[in-house]
Amino acid sequence: MNAMTKTEPLLQIEGLTKHFHVRLGAFGEREAVVHALDDISFDIMPGETLSVVGESGCGKSTAGFTILQLHRPTAGRIRYQGRDLAGLDEKALRPYRRELQIIFQDPYSTLNPRMTIGEAIAEPILFHKLAPKGEVKSRVERLLADVGLPARFAMRYPHELSGGQRQRVAIARALACEPKFIVCDEAISALDVSIQAQIINLLLELQRKYGLTYLFIAHDLAVVRHISTRVAVMYLGRVAELAPRARLFGNPLHPYTKALLSAVPEADPAYERKRQRQILQGDVPSPMAPPAGCRFHTRCPLAIERCRVEAPVWRETSPGHHVACHLAEGGGE
Amino acid sequence: MARKNGQELLLDVRDLAIEVVTRNGPARIVDGISLTVEKGETLGVVGESGCGKSLTMLSLLGLLPNKISVIGGSATFKGRDLLAMSHKELRKVRGGEIGFVFQDPMTSLNPVVRIGQQVMEPLLYHRNMGRAEARKRAGELLKLVGIPGAEERLDNYPHELSGGMRQRVMIAIGLACDPALLIADEPTTALDVTIQAQIVDIVKELRAKLGMSIVWITHDLALIAGLVDRVVVLYAGSVVEDAPVDELYENPAHPYTRGLLASIPRLKDEGAEKLSSIGGTPPEPGRRPAGCPFAPRCPIARAECERAVPALEPVKGEGAHRVACFAAGEIAEAVA
Amino acid sequence: MSDMALKQEDVREEPPANLWRDAWYRLKQNRMALTSLVIILALAFIAVFGPWLTPYDFLSQDLIARNQPPAWAHPFGTDELGRDVLSRVIYGTRTAFIVAISVTAVATLIGIVLGAFAGYFGGLLDRFVMWFTDMTMSVPQLLLVVVINASLKPPLARWMEAQYLETLNPIYRNSIIIDFVLVFGSMALITWPPYARLVRAQVLSVRNRPYVTAARALGLSTPVIIARYIVPNALGPLIVAVSAGLGTAMVLESAFSFLGIGVNPPMPSWGNMIADGLRVWRNYPHLLLAPAMMLAVATVAFSFLGDGLNDALNPRGQK
Ligand SMILES: Nc1ncnc2c1ncn2[C@@H]1O[C@H](COP(=O)(O)OP(=O)(O)OP(=O)(O)O)[C@@H](O)[C@H]1O
Ligand SMILES: Nc1ncnc2c1ncn2[C@@H]1O[C@H](COP(=O)(O)OP(=O)(O)OP(=O)(O)O)[C@@H](O)[C@H]1O
Ligand code: SF4
Ligand code: SF4
Ligand SMILES: [Mg+2]
Ligand SMILES: [Mg+2]
Repeated sequence: MNAMTKTEPLLQIEGLTKHFHVRLGAFGEREAVVHALDDISFDIMPGETLSVVGESGCGKSTAGFTILQLHRPTAGRIRYQGRDLAGLDEKALRPYRRELQIIFQDPYSTLNPRMTIGEAIAEPILFHKLAPKGEVKSRVERLLADVGLPARFAMRYPHELSGGQRQRVAIARALACEPKFIVCDEAISALDVSIQAQIINLLLELQRKYGLTYLFIAHDLAVVRHISTRVAVMYLGRVAELAPRARLFGNPLHPYTKALLSAVPEADPAYERKRQRQILQGDVPSPMAPPAGCRFHTRCPLAIERCRVEAPVWRETSPGHHVACHLAEGGGE
Repeated sequence: MARKNGQELLLDVRDLAIEVVTRNGPARIVDGISLTVEKGETLGVVGESGCGKSLTMLSLLGLLPNKISVIGGSATFKGRDLLAMSHKELRKVRGGEIGFVFQDPMTSLNPVVRIGQQVMEPLLYHRNMGRAEARKRAGELLKLVGIPGAEERLDNYPHELSGGMRQRVMIAIGLACDPALLIADEPTTALDVTIQAQIVDIVKELRAKLGMSIVWITHDLALIAGLVDRVVVLYAGSVVEDAPVDELYENPAHPYTRGLLASIPRLKDEGAEKLSSIGGTPPEPGRRPAGCPFAPRCPIARAECERAVPALEPVKGEGAHRVACFAAGEIAEAVA
Repeated sequence: MSDMALKQEDVREEPPANLWRDAWYRLKQNRMALTSLVIILALAFIAVFGPWLTPYDFLSQDLIARNQPPAWAHPFGTDELGRDVLSRVIYGTRTAFIVAISVTAVATLIGIVLGAFAGYFGGLLDRFVMWFTDMTMSVPQLLLVVVINASLKPPLARWMEAQYLETLNPIYRNSIIIDFVLVFGSMALITWPPYARLVRAQVLSVRNRPYVTAARALGLSTPVIIARYIVPNALGPLIVAVSAGLGTAMVLESAFSFLGIGVNPPMPSWGNMIADGLRVWRNYPHLLLAPAMMLAVATVAFSFLGDGLNDALNPRGQK
């Protein structure tokens, strides 16, 4: 536990907020604000895998995008190497962009269909002048080898590859930038089960080899448990709970985390038939009108009167274990 | 291949073959699939994306897209061959005796028609109900699938509902005419775990209440573990394994099934550092190998496997667990 | 693990396909589009090599053989001045292509520049460009051309004459140049708005594609992103529009020439030939039929080719 406080965080996220202004109605006559991300704070440690889980639309991607400055935050700070990225303009950001990379969910649409694989991977190397011109080709081949593709794939177009192969290319392209930090935004969700395992293994292997730090966005809790150092659970634009992997899965404190864990199916028929699920009632509220008080109170099985009016504070119940719930017990050791 | 316990078969698909016309000539997408569904049974159909799960089910209802056609086989439903029926007869079956829940709830609902109307449609057509009666029944159906405030929701448009609610509307439409068979094509793939769990629970409840048979198509082996009675595993357009659910998860006999089960990370066991995975990718239709379709990825493939296609045969002489693999006998011994 | 993963890949080497090849394959499947393409290529051939193909000079009058019906010597007959109609139709093809290509090229260029800037930068610039586009679209085309023609033609003609007197260069005596610059310049000025709208819409949609976001995340600069990610992907629909636009421009040219504000006699154009033929069609239908057929065939071919390209370039729209 103490090791964590000694090393400097790679990224410090403080009060990060992102609101989208959208127009509604047939003629766009009504304006509304989507509270995609509301005041989230956490640190990301070098070399760790911090996973972010939560329902669709809870703001996971927005968090990743905003940290990378692909969305400009409405408020809050992102400290990286002592700099606040939120304050930098596009040009000043460029060298940081190289070090902070992202891999997207859909390998089908994140590669330019008119560029060969080789061109796509060479692009950042040339642009950031990471290798002399003559060495670019061999660098591309080495990157392809890193992600387990033969060199001749450099001549192909994205649509000639399978989904898993494309995702490997996307990873190679991110690696070409020689990054320190990679956001994996549902990087394996679109892939088949047997291919998912290949890519997870690849990500872990590369992390060891290059000392990478991951922000791993996912909705598959079994995968998250497999690869994470720490896990953050988001609900409706807020972080509900953040803890080291073993604690989050072994001793979840937030009612939403508990419901989430109980909903995960297991590939075990006998266990599945016996098991009692805790089914959440009600639908997810809209991020355009998030409920007052605790955002989870409309579905929370434990909600009390106080939850309707007062938002729970983000507190640390035991070292490294943060939660936002009025009823969560502290300590728990 | 009559079933051992002699239960009445509701659906009996035999040697179904489907072809697509491509630039390089016709390609087999579905290559001799046989499967059966008993009365009251829930069958899980699993397999990787593109292995032909959806097309198999669409062909039963005559809903194949352009350029894709059935070129052989039969599909007997309640004693009649669905594949030999005229369009008119099929229309009577579709949405009536066989309910269908499509893969994608976002695009399968008509965005400009109120959901009440869409749920009423099969009732008006198949049951010849009056509008008032159909509307009442539609309200009941939405309540049945657990939509809160069901009656008021009838006048909503699809975009006014969340993804989970839309999927429940799709299920309500599939159930509208008390079908004998409900075919659900990845009905929860687009949804979150918490909503997924809700829908699985609703379907279990409805099955107990209505006593229908279900075919549940998915690629998620964990999701169906507690739901189905039997599982058929497809690979590259053919059945590679067919077994009762407990048997399949405990003693998978086909190397593909084994690989698939091994590559699912389990919540219960703490993360082993490396997941076991199946190398390579499934072959595209038209590029399938001559012998066993799994041979290029199979860790125990032998010379024989590249020459001949293994037949689907019972493991250890029993009828219920069948597998298409030359090495099945050895695997069974190794496990035992 | 990696070598294992590619076991199967190494066995089969597939022919490298690309998007344009696939599009060409799909186009070949479309019989209407393919026929149209052949027709257009034939017409283009006629337009380019016209001077060597014509049996007669399009101006040479044979006053003895006036208004001849089609015969061996004159396959499409002769007109009221005894000129060979086939030769004139061939020259008309040349006119039609020159006009269509130059008008469409200028209009497309204007459209690309305005549309791309409006789409990429958005905001005030976008609003202004779109306002300007709507304004231009709301003015009746014919009226605009007539006004431009009437107000600019005389002063330009006077200027040309003055230049001629000064330099004695015969090029200034060529009234066809005035027609081309003025009338077809103004045609280009009225036909660009659809291209601008299309390009803007394309840029807007491509701009938000994940691969553009991915390129931004790589830290690439804006000009690189526009040139290598946005423009190549926005081009498909533009090609379609240009193909259809060529046909439209031919119709416009004929319409203006028909009304006497386009290509003026004696230079042949399908439009002014139709105008001439229309006066006497009861007695000499072939004078109307020949140019009208050409115009009809050309425009139908362009529109079918446009449709075909649309389907071919859009792999999802096969149904
Ligand atoms: N560009 C945008 N404009 C307006 N609203 C947006 C935009 N991007 C995201 N949102 C909204 O912000 C909320 C959070 O979206 P986000 O994409 O971060 O969710 P997510 O957790 O990644 O979900 P998923 O698991 O479906 O990817 C959603 O309600 C979404 O509709
Ligand atoms: N309209 C079509 N034209 C050509 N090929 C098609 C068409 N629809 C499907 N296919 C091909 O047929 C094969 C089987 O498709 P099918 O939709 O049945 O797969 P699936 O098993 O349902 O996959 P998924 O899990 O992705 O839904 C795939 O390889 C697919 O590429
Ligand atoms: S604060 Fe209240 S409503 Fe929110 S999670 Fe805790 S108990 Fe539930
Ligand atoms: S038949 Fe051969 S290749 Fe196919 S699964 Fe069995 S052992 Fe593997
Ligand atoms: Mg997301
Ligand atoms: Mg499918």
